[in-house]
Amino acid sequence: MRTHSDNPCFHCGEPVPPGTDLAVEIGGESRAMCCAGCRAVAALIHSSGLDRYYDFRDALPERPDGPKAEPGRYAAWDREAVLDFHTRTDGNDRRSIVLVLENVHCAACAWLIHRYLGQFAGVSETRLDVGDGRLRLQFAPEQTPLSALAAALERIGYPPHLDTPDSGIDRDRNERRRMLRYLIVAALGMMQVMSYALANYIAGGSADVSGGMDPETEHFFRLISMLVAVPVALYAGQPFYRSAANHLRQRHLGLDVPVAGAILLALFSSVLITLFGEGEVYFDSVVMFVFFLLLGRFAVMLARQQSGALHSALARALPGQARRLTAAGSEAVGLVELEVGDRIIVADGDVVPADGIVTEGDGSVDESLLSGESEPRPRAVGDAVLAGSLVSGGSLQLRIEKLGSSTVLSGIVELLSEARRRRPRLARLADAAAAWFIALILISTGLAAIYWWQVDPGSVIPVVLAMLVVACPCALALGTPTALASATRGLALQGVLTANPDALEALPRITHVVLDKTGTLTEPGARLVEVRTVPGLDRDEMLQLAGALERVSNHPIARAFSAFDRGRLVEQSENVAGAGVAGRIDGRKYWLGRADWVSERAGGRWSEPGEGIWLALLAEGAPEPAWLRVDARLRGGAQALVARLNGAGIRVVLASGDREINVASVARALGIREYHAGTRPEDKLALVERLQTRGARVAMVGDGINDAPVLAGADISIALAEGAAIARTQADLVATGRDLKPVTALFEQAPRVRRIVRQNLVWALVYNLGGLPLAAAGLVPPWAAAIGMSASSIAVVLNARRLGRIDNRKPPESPPARRAALEAA
Amino acid sequence: MKIIYVLIPLSLMLLGLAVWAFFWAVRNDQFDDLDTPAMDILDDDEKSADDQAPETRDR
Repeated sequence: MRTHSDNPCFHCGEPVPPGTDLAVEIGGESRAMCCAGCRAVAALIHSSGLDRYYDFRDALPERPDGPKAEPGRYAAWDREAVLDFHTRTDGNDRRSIVLVLENVHCAACAWLIHRYLGQFAGVSETRLDVGDGRLRLQFAPEQTPLSALAAALERIGYPPHLDTPDSGIDRDRNERRRMLRYLIVAALGMMQVMSYALANYIAGGSADVSGGMDPETEHFFRLISMLVAVPVALYAGQPFYRSAANHLRQRHLGLDVPVAGAILLALFSSVLITLFGEGEVYFDSVVMFVFFLLLGRFAVMLARQQSGALHSALARALPGQARRLTAAGSEAVGLVELEVGDRIIVADGDVVPADGIVTEGDGSVDESLLSGESEPRPRAVGDAVLAGSLVSGGSLQLRIEKLGSSTVLSGIVELLSEARRRRPRLARLADAAAAWFIALILISTGLAAIYWWQVDPGSVIPVVLAMLVVACPCALALGTPTALASATRGLALQGVLTANPDALEALPRITHVVLDKTGTLTEPGARLVEVRTVPGLDRDEMLQLAGALERVSNHPIARAFSAFDRGRLVEQSENVAGAGVAGRIDGRKYWLGRADWVSERAGGRWSEPGEGIWLALLAEGAPEPAWLRVDARLRGGAQALVARLNGAGIRVVLASGDREINVASVARALGIREYHAGTRPEDKLALVERLQTRGARVAMVGDGINDAPVLAGADISIALAEGAAIARTQADLVATGRDLKPVTALFEQAPRVRRIVRQNLVWALVYNLGGLPLAAAGLVPPWAAAIGMSASSIAVVLNARRLGRIDNRKPPESPPARRAALEAA
Repeated sequence: MKIIYVLIPLSLMLLGLAVWAFFWAVRNDQFDDLDTPAMDILDDDEKSADDQAPETRDR
């Protein structure tokens, strides 16, 4: 087992690479940082007096990409057209805007953003929705321009994006508010009606002592109850009446048919009794029934709405501004200002803002977000370029052909969100079962009514009401969708986005997990693991030289040294692809590269001192080279994931397109027994299918772009994606971030989801099937039925909500336990 | 007992008032963010930390 540095980065929690010496003083102590990006953010937080963010937070941030010193990055956001389109004027020169932020994790993020932005003049309101990363900001453009606030957000590690206006957020909020109003009316109405009913119960109970309530007063109480209960039940019960009417119109027995029937029957029989006759009234039961039903629906709605921040994907995939050509030169403009036919320049490293045709220049375009093609393709004059692709080499001048919602990118995002709105299979099954169940209830209620009509006509209404209410399969219908929605929410908080809820159901039955290596278990690039010095060249000096020499190379291995580059001048630098680099520093010539290449160049005969990938660093005239060993960078959490899977009895298979030696070393480091090297995507698919024919259920974990066919062939596909790529991947589940912790969390969570769904279904069935005969026998009064039904629904919803919480108290697995798990497998 | 003919209509008026107040709160975004206000309580007075010595602050 390879030992990581025991000292995690104080800011992001990732291990500090050996030889890194970055620190920031926070809370009176010097804290180690893993990279310049973290240091910049932490220093900024400290200098703003916001150290306590580190005490408040209960989730770690993403590692920032490092300072992107681009002063004009958000310049176009101050333009009148952009402000007019995206902001609302709030009087007194104030404007408010909604921004979509990346990397929002917990309430401490909200605190930090609130405090930090609050220090800018003119910022009067910042409100962050931690669930979907939306920031509502009220500011005065005269005092602090929007571009400055956007740049400030990026500096503290939350890059902002302009929100797309049609993202469904308003629809969600309106729905939430409407439900809140129903709920409030039902709650207040229930309290009121119950207090009137209570007076009657108490007076009735002590009738022998005080003579009870005189008929006049009793009638008055009934009239008042009716006055409150009728409007309350009619107003707050609207969701049920509407849905029942819809179901009946479609000739389908929905859950709300008996619900609406029971409410209306109880309400109008009570009204008739109050006005004309003798008997019992059920105003209190009706209102209570409505309130508890609404409470259940409200919980489901919240769980569904909070189930992930996928709808902001489009906003993240497009750049914040574009550079438009004008007669006088070029200007930065907002995307809303662009029109078809405009000419724009897209520089190297920028994202194309609209579909267009290249009119000048040439360069490579990375379309991995759109087509899955991971290699950048060259584009020349006359070629089409799509919005959301990345120019990576050269710069292009485009004529805009399509904008906004007519772009290919927008179509893809729309398709995906359509797929995500699908109801999960389990919920559809429960719906179908509920229809039969409801038919059964209606028939048996009818039979019971006929029986009681002959035995005791006065009991017909109470019995029918009790049966309709008791048998209401609310818990049955709520149990599964709330559990899945809560699990989706809980997983989203841990960095897993659920595109297909069916996958959560299937996950506990997985027997094999196929892992991709490159981009999944390992990160791009290499890391330094061992240094062997020679006399006259100490470790620090060696690393600095290596950093300086590798500056000219763009080989992945070179990245292992970039952290050590202190900017020393390299003369006559030379880069031989696949072999090494050479150059003259402080007048002395150095070679750094493969042993055979260095031997050949310097005229010696040296070979690697051991297994693995060794680089020789030879100074001119030195008798022997110093050695540096590099290795693939394992992703954080890879060890824990494999140990967890092994511990759960799931077979782990490593399949990679890489060479045998590299794959074997990763497999050995992680304790994976079965690995396949040199596999192409179709080989991986064949491997998955071979496992499946042997009865295995296979989950594939890949990077979502190169592995698309394999992901489609597996029983469950899990993709690792960051930022804009999230919108594109077609996997069932998407793990975000740089780390494999979310995938581990997913496998830990899955058995709990299954257990809770099962508990809910069993509980609902026992309650419904047990209650129905009792009610038919006339043993359950309507008010008790209402309480029982509500209690069973609430129990189911609360049980499901447990899946939405993250358990932070659990201590991290200790190394001995991990090793034991490895050996047990 | 005649007093209830005054008190109960009064309670209805209070009910109406409560419903109105809640609707006002819903309309004015009071229920939109239920996570972050919980953090505010953890926050000391804005500028106490630097301009007061810790000893005096404790008392």
